[in-house]
Parts: sequence; structure tokens; C-alpha cells
Amino acid sequence: MVKQVPLSKEFLKGLWEQNPIFKQVLGMCPTLAVTVSAINGIAMALATTFVLVTASLLISTIRKLIPNQVRIAAYIVIIATFVTIVDLVMKAKFPELSKALGPFIPLIVVNCIILGRQEAFASKNTPFRALLDALGMGAGFFIALVSLGGIREIIGSRTFLGIQILPDAFEPWLIMILPAGAFLTLGLMLGFANMYTDRKKRIEKESLIEQYKRVSKVEISMAQEGI
Amino acid sequence: MNNVVKMILTLSIIGVVSGGLLSRIDNWADPLIAANQKAQTEEAIFKVQPEAQNYEPVNIAGIEAYKVSDASNNPLGYSLVYSGNGFQGKIRLMIGLTSDLEKITALEILEQVETPGLGTKVTEDPFRNQFKGLETLPQINWVKGINPSHPNEIQAITGATISSKAVVAIMNVGILKMRKLQKEGKI
Amino acid sequence: MDLFIIFISAAIVNNFVLAYFLGICPFIGVSNKTSSAVSMGMATTFVMVITAIVSWLLFNLLLVPYELEFLQIPSFILVIASLVQFVEMFIKKVSQPLYRALGIFLPLITTNCAILGLALFISMREYSFIESVFFGVGAGAGFTLALTIMAGIREELELANVPASFKGAPITLIVAGILALAFMGFAGMI
Repeated sequence: MVKQVPLSKEFLKGLWEQNPIFKQVLGMCPTLAVTVSAINGIAMALATTFVLVTASLLISTIRKLIPNQVRIAAYIVIIATFVTIVDLVMKAKFPELSKALGPFIPLIVVNCIILGRQEAFASKNTPFRALLDALGMGAGFFIALVSLGGIREIIGSRTFLGIQILPDAFEPWLIMILPAGAFLTLGLMLGFANMYTDRKKRIEKESLIEQYKRVSKVEISMAQEGI
Repeated sequence: MNNVVKMILTLSIIGVVSGGLLSRIDNWADPLIAANQKAQTEEAIFKVQPEAQNYEPVNIAGIEAYKVSDASNNPLGYSLVYSGNGFQGKIRLMIGLTSDLEKITALEILEQVETPGLGTKVTEDPFRNQFKGLETLPQINWVKGINPSHPNEIQAITGATISSKAVVAIMNVGILKMRKLQKEGKI
Repeated sequence: MDLFIIFISAAIVNNFVLAYFLGICPFIGVSNKTSSAVSMGMATTFVMVITAIVSWLLFNLLLVPYELEFLQIPSFILVIASLVQFVEMFIKKVSQPLYRALGIFLPLITTNCAILGLALFISMREYSFIESVFFGVGAGAGFTLALTIMAGIREELELANVPASFKGAPITLIVAGILALAFMGFAGMI
């Protein structure tokens, strides 16, 4: 069984079609917790992508050497190692960001996106495909985190990436930077994402029906004319 | 049996490689992390004691404080680290005190988890600047809605009274402990 | 008194699910029915208390004395994974009814970030042994509370006229937001 998925598709599917947040609803904890500002979202997404990419590359390379029964344990140790590396580097080089993200860097270990991609993809594909998949999923995660963090930051504290963009006359909605705001915003975003997909599907279906009707009309008229 | 050996072998190799790699990186990161923490504390020590040039730690009876002095080693006072419960969690303060512990030079908030936008106003200048030159005797008091009329009073933030009160309470307890230590001649 | 504060703080004021966003996956996945929410909550609490004890021992008796703190993430996650496996086997041997009630939820707990979060908080906040136990019980109680309330609301939501696109995860998140808002009322209790 040879896979016929084009390489570009391995990357692009993570952006929207199988977006880890909007479509698969995975990795909610860090998504909700750190997105009080866009910059936190960016840092979290980059850290997660780094772990996802390195772990996927390594695991897809050594996938045939790992006995099946202990594969989950092996994956977890590998992921935990990369997460510790990120944690140490952030603490050493970016102490401010590391403080803002708090215990959520170590918690990347239990982010279901990472273990999920290893189990579903990296353990069955070549390193190159696994790399593309990981980059795509990371990019999808990035898009979700930055948009969520951006919305919450703009409405909650009038700024985007620390630069004020709404006038002082706009009273910031405090709820947006509170935990409650995280749940509400993500809930609404998911809902609207679904609405968009549903509408697209409906339009496609309708145009299909339309096409079918036209074709059958032609067939009927052809039959009536006795051809 | 062969399979079991392979399983154990794989996991051990992964474990050893991971441990080795991490200890390498930790060796590199550890001094940097320690330096970061030291730089942060140092910055706060001097922020609450603007004229200070040198400091030496005082570690008695579980109190974290720093005795600060100017360029010619004349003692200026203390930078005291003290923490307590705020509205939602721990608040950690760096309090600048004169040598006689009767006046505050400045206040920095090191850590807090107050409500964003409300309680977090205690970290902003308008609130913190009220403490500059504030008298600590008999104790710091707070007032609400009116302008402070005594040299030992500050105005609590509207909408964040509990956080303001908590900061004042933590300071009073910390200063009291320092005063006790000073009376006993320990600092 | 301090122990009581730790308990209340973990259970209500700084609820793991609604204030720290830990354990969201099971929160969205298992909160359909009140009965399964309670079972899931119990199983999680059980594992949390054991994790609190084991991770405290591991961190303070092994990692700190040998200056191996940098190994805490891999060692905690491995301990949790094997612990859950062990608890599952133990319950299966000892009590069949209990296994039937909790069994299917146990494997899900390994990937519950609330457990690892608990272990990390214990080492980060330098809790003493007894404080860690209270913290574990409190966090478990808070998780059970949030899950059960959520399940109760979702049972009612079944009858409500929710827009099709918002069914499932979106409406659950929105309800969780309102719940988080309600729980903010407890802030300032400590």
C-alpha cells in the first residue's frame, strides 16, 4: 500500500483542515492558559512546535527500532527530554517569558497534540513526511494561539504585541484576560469555525444537487425525445 | 525472551541518552539561570534604594533582607523581601526601609497573582509611589475614597481594596519583624 | 489553618480546571453524564493523592539530594504513567465492582495534565509532605466539583436549542467560561 498523499498536503492539512485546536480540539490546557497576550501565544506555539518537530523527526527516524509494546513509554521519555531542553533554555535566555508562561512549559509533555502526532503519524511515516506534518501542525497551533491571544489582548488590554491600538476612550473588557474570557473566546471561535465549515459543506452539497438535477433533466428530455 | 531483552535495551538506551543530554544542557543553563535570578533580585534591591551602591545579605530568623550602603559604605537602610496572602494568592514584596526603619524609601512588587486589571493595579506607579517617604510608625494605615491626611496613610485603590489592604498588611508584619530584630540588636 | 487554606485554595478559589485550565480534555470529554463525571472525579482524586505522595518523595528524597532537578519532567511523567497502570492492576485484583466503576477512566488519567501539573506545583511551591497530601486532596475535590457541575449543566443542555455549529465543544467551553466567572466569586476567601 503506497501512500499517494502529495507532500504539500502533509504540511497544509495542519493549517486548517486538521487544525489541532479548531478541528481536532486537542491541547486545550496551554491554549487557554497562556493566551492573555499575543506574545505569550507566540512563545508557547514556538516552544510546542520545537518539541513537536524534533520529537517527530527523531521518532520517525528510529521508529523501526522501538519495540511496539514499549513505544508509548519511549515516546514520552523522548518528548519529556525535548521539553526539558526548551524549559532550561527559556529559563536561561528568556527569563521574563519563562516567568509569564509559568508551569505551562513543562506541561507541553502532556499536550495531546504531540503524543497524538507521534502515535498517528511519525511512527508510521518517513522522517521527511513526519517533519512536514509536524511543521504543519505546529503552524496550525501557532495560528490558533496567536489569533486567540491577539483577540484577548486587543479587547482585554487595548494592545497588540504590547503596542496600544485601541484609543483610550475604549474601556478594556477585563473579562477577556481573566480565565472566564479564555473559555468564552475559544468557545465562540470554535463555534464560528464550525459554522463556516458547515456552510461551505452545505453550499457544496447544494451545488451538487443542482448539478445532478440539471443532468437528470437533460436525461429525461433526451429520453422523451426517444434518443 | 529475545523481545523482552530488546524492550529493556531500547528503553535503557533512550533513558541513558536522554539523561546524559539533559545533564549537559543543565550544566550550561544552571549558571545562567542563577545569574538571571541574582540580577532580578539585585535590580529590585537597588530600585527600592535609589541611592544605594552596595548591599550585603542579612539572613536571620528566616528573614530575607539586604543591608544597603552608598559608595563610601555609609549605611542607608534595608531592602526587605516579605510575602503574604493577597486577594487570590501569594504577594511577594521588596520593601525599601531607612536604617531606623521609620520611613519607607520605595516599594516593588516581585510576585503577585491578583485579578488582572483590578488587583494588578497595586504594581502600577500611582499606587506604589504613595509609599515613597511614608512613615511606618505606629503602623501603615490605608484610607478609602478620601485623600490621606496623615504621613503614615495611603489611599487604597477603588475596586482593589482587598489587594491594597493585603499589601499594607504584609508590609506592616514584615516591618514589625525587622523592628524586633533591630531591638534585639541582631541587625 | 494553613492546611485548610491550601485545601480550599486548590478546591475552590484556584480551581484546577476553571482557574488553571488543567485537565480540560477530560472536562470536555467526560462531562456528559453526572454519574460518569463523579466516577471520573473519584478516580482522578485517587490518582492525584497517590501522585502527590509519590512525587513529593521522589523529588525531595531522590532528585534534590542528588541535584537532579532537571530530570523532574521525565521522571514525574514516567512515575505517573506507571502509577496509573499499577493502580489499575491493583483495583482489578482487589475489587471488581470498583474496577467496573473506575476502570475505563484510569487510562485516560495518564494524559490528564492536571496530574502532572499537581506534581510540578508541589515541587515548585516547595510544599511539605503533609501540605502536598492536602493539596492533592483539594485539587481532586476541585476537579470532581467542576466536572460534576459541568455534567449537570450539560444534561440540561441536551434539551436546549443550541445552534448546530455550537453543539459539543464550543457550547461546553462557553458554559465553562460562565462557570469560571461564577467561581471568581470565591476569590478573596483566603
